[in-house]
Amino acid sequence: MTIFGHKAPLTAVVGLAIILLNLLVALAGPYLAPYGETQVVGGGWDPASAAAWFGTDQIGRDMFTRLVYGARMTIGIAFVTTILSFAIGITLGLVAAVAGRWVDALISRAVDVVLSIPLLIWALMILNVLGQSLFSLVFTIGCLDSTRVFRLARALGLNLVSLDFVEVARMRGEGLWWVISREILPNAAAPLMSEFGLRFCFNFLFIAALSFLGLGVPLPYADWGGMVKDNVGGISFGLPAALYPAAAIALLTVGINLVVDWFLSIDARPSGAQAEM
Amino acid sequence: MILSRIGLGLLTLLVVSIVIFVLTQILPGDTATSVLGQNATPETLAAFRHELGLDRPAALRYLAWLGGVLHGDFGVALTNKQDIVEVLGPRFRNTLFLAGYAALMALPLAVGFGILAAIREGRLTDRLANIVALLAISMPEFFVGYLLILNLSVNHEWFPSLATVGTDTPFGERVWAVTLPAVTLTFLVTAHMLRMTRNSVLSTMSTAYVEMAFLKGLSRARVVTRHALPNAASPVISVIALNLAYLVVGVVVVENVFTYPGVGQYMIDAVSKRDVPVIEACGIVFAGVFITLNTFADVMAIVLNPRLRHPR
Amino acid sequence: MKTAEPPSPGPSGLIVDRRQLLAGAGALGLALGPMGGLARAEDAPKKGGTLRMGMEGGSASDSLDFRTYTDSIHISYGYQIFNGMVEIAQDGTATGELLESWSTKPGATEWVFDVRKGVTFHSGKTLDADDIIYSLNLHRGETKSPAKDLLSAIADIRKLGPNQVGITLSSGNADLPYNLSDYHVLVVPNGFSDWSKPDGTGAYALETFQPGVKVVTRNTGRYWKPNRAWFDSIEIRYIPDVAARTQALISGQVDAVNRLDPKTVGFVLKSPKVDVVQSKGSGNRFAFVAHCDDPSFASNDTRMALKYGIDRQKIVDTVYKGYASIGNDTLIAPSNPYFVPNTPPHSYDPDRAASLYKKAGSPPLQLQVSEGAFSGATDSAVLFQESLKKAGINLDLKRVSADGYWDNVWLKAPFCAVYWGGRPSVDLQLSQTFFSTANWNDSHWRDPGFDKLVVAARIELDPAKRKSMYAEAQHMIADTGGMICYAVGDYLDGYAKKVKGVVPHPRYDMADQRAAEKAWFA
Repeated sequence: MTIFGHKAPLTAVVGLAIILLNLLVALAGPYLAPYGETQVVGGGWDPASAAAWFGTDQIGRDMFTRLVYGARMTIGIAFVTTILSFAIGITLGLVAAVAGRWVDALISRAVDVVLSIPLLIWALMILNVLGQSLFSLVFTIGCLDSTRVFRLARALGLNLVSLDFVEVARMRGEGLWWVISREILPNAAAPLMSEFGLRFCFNFLFIAALSFLGLGVPLPYADWGGMVKDNVGGISFGLPAALYPAAAIALLTVGINLVVDWFLSIDARPSGAQAEM
Repeated sequence: MILSRIGLGLLTLLVVSIVIFVLTQILPGDTATSVLGQNATPETLAAFRHELGLDRPAALRYLAWLGGVLHGDFGVALTNKQDIVEVLGPRFRNTLFLAGYAALMALPLAVGFGILAAIREGRLTDRLANIVALLAISMPEFFVGYLLILNLSVNHEWFPSLATVGTDTPFGERVWAVTLPAVTLTFLVTAHMLRMTRNSVLSTMSTAYVEMAFLKGLSRARVVTRHALPNAASPVISVIALNLAYLVVGVVVVENVFTYPGVGQYMIDAVSKRDVPVIEACGIVFAGVFITLNTFADVMAIVLNPRLRHPR
Repeated sequence: MKTAEPPSPGPSGLIVDRRQLLAGAGALGLALGPMGGLARAEDAPKKGGTLRMGMEGGSASDSLDFRTYTDSIHISYGYQIFNGMVEIAQDGTATGELLESWSTKPGATEWVFDVRKGVTFHSGKTLDADDIIYSLNLHRGETKSPAKDLLSAIADIRKLGPNQVGITLSSGNADLPYNLSDYHVLVVPNGFSDWSKPDGTGAYALETFQPGVKVVTRNTGRYWKPNRAWFDSIEIRYIPDVAARTQALISGQVDAVNRLDPKTVGFVLKSPKVDVVQSKGSGNRFAFVAHCDDPSFASNDTRMALKYGIDRQKIVDTVYKGYASIGNDTLIAPSNPYFVPNTPPHSYDPDRAASLYKKAGSPPLQLQVSEGAFSGATDSAVLFQESLKKAGINLDLKRVSADGYWDNVWLKAPFCAVYWGGRPSVDLQLSQTFFSTANWNDSHWRDPGFDKLVVAARIELDPAKRKSMYAEAQHMIADTGGMICYAVGDYLDGYAKKVKGVVPHPRYDMADQRAAEKAWFA
């Protein structure tokens, strides 16, 4: 199969199909779901039946419906958060790599300060100060997560900065932003892309971890991570409710990363622009 | 070089302690309100604050604390007057033990399979390693924990579900008790490192000198290990350091699921009780580990990449 | 009690309901078995063993100072190491502990207490009146003690003899012994101040104190209560995660756990190795509370709309799987003798709720909720929102952090989730929560008539008159108050089958948190 002028392996096609399916579900949610997002249709943890295909959740809402609505919330939050964290992380990381020792030291130490304390504890403190809302959740996770992107972006940047073509550009007297956007970013794209896939998935897992501390997506909306948390108590007794949202997360994670791998493999071929440099 | 690194590290620790202190002051509530909770009245709060010295100005309290630390005294917990170093010591050893155990499993797996996947790029080994790693990482950590407990502790009573270890627990028993949390953490960090190893190696495959190596007719395995890997090492080490730090710093949820007495839970409890000296001590321990690993990664990157040795 | 029957017992697990207990109360003097039957040989108490308790309700910040106790683990080790002044008996009445007996005069302001003789502290000191006075004064004056409020009516304490103490109250209170049964009011020797080395008269002396990990105590071998303290040692392990705690019990890593999850207790009952003890205790009052002086809730019609708009039965069935009683908004537990059975809880009536809400002008409603308030709070709130939706009422839910909940949200937010634990007497329950001037009047409901009634009932020594006064007070709260107490949860403890002697207690779970001294291994 050929997509965007590149031959796509089977895994990439599968990955794309998974992503498209998820996007479709996220967009068409209300039309697909048999019940309302918060509608109670039965008792807690009812088994699967014709009326509730995947059974019900801990307080009797239809699991299938919650999964469908959860797609929208989960993918939406994770996407916005990851974009935010990459925007902050890459900018700071590459600036640190290119702009010279003092700027580098300053930003790096600041990021070290953030990274050296458990993310959950940061989130606990910041969310307590900001108050809980969708905005503060996205903002907090985005900022905290950007520190991890920063480290990678900086490492990649440092590696590339010492390559000949960057040095040549700098000697030509090109400005900081020119060097970053024209020379470094395109060359750092592949590992960053791979990181994007993972961080995207980490972000909804992080939201799940937050719900462990009673922080998370506002009530009564569904998000997959929170659904796993809410239903996980039944796992040890063989109640499958938590498996569905967990499977949804796993499926999307694998799908995204299969596609990312494919992009990477296109990128890493010794053909095209990079090989000439 | 080394000295300036150490200096920077100490400076970072100082900043960490200031940031933590400021944050705890911004946080609503203090030790008195959070210990008394629903039982608080204005009079009892005032009496408790006076007893704890919380009625003194914040800056003074910070300086007093800092003075103590500079003399090697981390003080006592506000809430229960226990000596912080005495409590933190065993918990920190537990945290390191768990992290070390997990790292022993995760590192060889991640780097080994990462390189293997790069060598056999696009083939079955690569695909399998990749998908298994992704599946492992795509589950919330507490979910992995509960699944392991269900299978290895409930259905088959091979490992205990409680990883409560004490200072007097013998080594063998300790290893046995900590296996499930360590495996959970391995799940968590392996995929990230594996993929980074693989992708960094692959991205250096497109550079001219690797091309050259291919043109010389070397085998793919040889090109990967001899030419691509050393140049890919810097981002890989960076990610490894980050994950090792994560094993120490980020395991609060796993500690909770397995009831493991590590530093993370101690710090969470301290935050919720606004026990500032304890939060500070935990923060500094975490930051110390983090900074050490980081410095190590930076130094390794410089050693492994000759070009970085030239001053910019 | 509207939930007519407790959930049916599983095939092997044992569920004991309080009414069953009361039915068998006559037999209690003969046998300690919960079923009230003849004591079988295997049930006869015997010495030995280490009781390993896996518990929730504490943290790494716990202290041995009983003035900081707030949660189950504290109460448990508190009762292992120390003794209280007054114990609550199996039938819910106050009975002598270190204060052996007492008497008062009409008006209930002058009290005389006899201090038990022949009791020694772990340090070897013999208990006397000075120890009692010193211990009481820990909660008086400038103190952080949560019991300060309970004892604030004490005007004077004086030593009448080496084993007698006189107490004068500023205003009469017939329930003083109940106030003295509070778990903060424990006894240390006169002048005691080093809390790292606690000295008590309890059955067990402290051996290891690692808060957040474990607390170990060892039997002193010379406990003064007959037929108590059977174990060689007690080990409390902190297991805050309910799934982990449940698994630890089922797999035999601990012998006793508290706070089982009602959602999974049905599965726990299937385990052949485990007993479940269900008690209708005095705590676990689950409520949503509205400020009566907030614009949204100023009209009683809004408050009544919310009371009729909450489907209590549905919440009890779904969130608590039937392991709860329906609450009737007054905080008095249905198991309490002064509970008024003829005030039926406002049952779910969406139409009535809708019309009341319209009459009140349809004000905007927002409920702040957190699992930090109590377990099941968020799920209950979601069901509340759903049941209001059927009445056309829109309730906005705001999830807030569990951290600092009691400080930042409770008493401050106009409408929020609240947990009320048991108070030793109805008087305290009503006066600490609903009195106009009460510190903890979280509904901002103020009614001078109510205040007068409660003060009058406090010194009323005739039980029948008292009961009718409390009945009127409860009506006032239920019909105009801002408290929506929709459920009273059952305590669910789990025990390994070999643990005997754990009977449901009307106050707290785990045999009034005295399982360590009451239970034994078969």
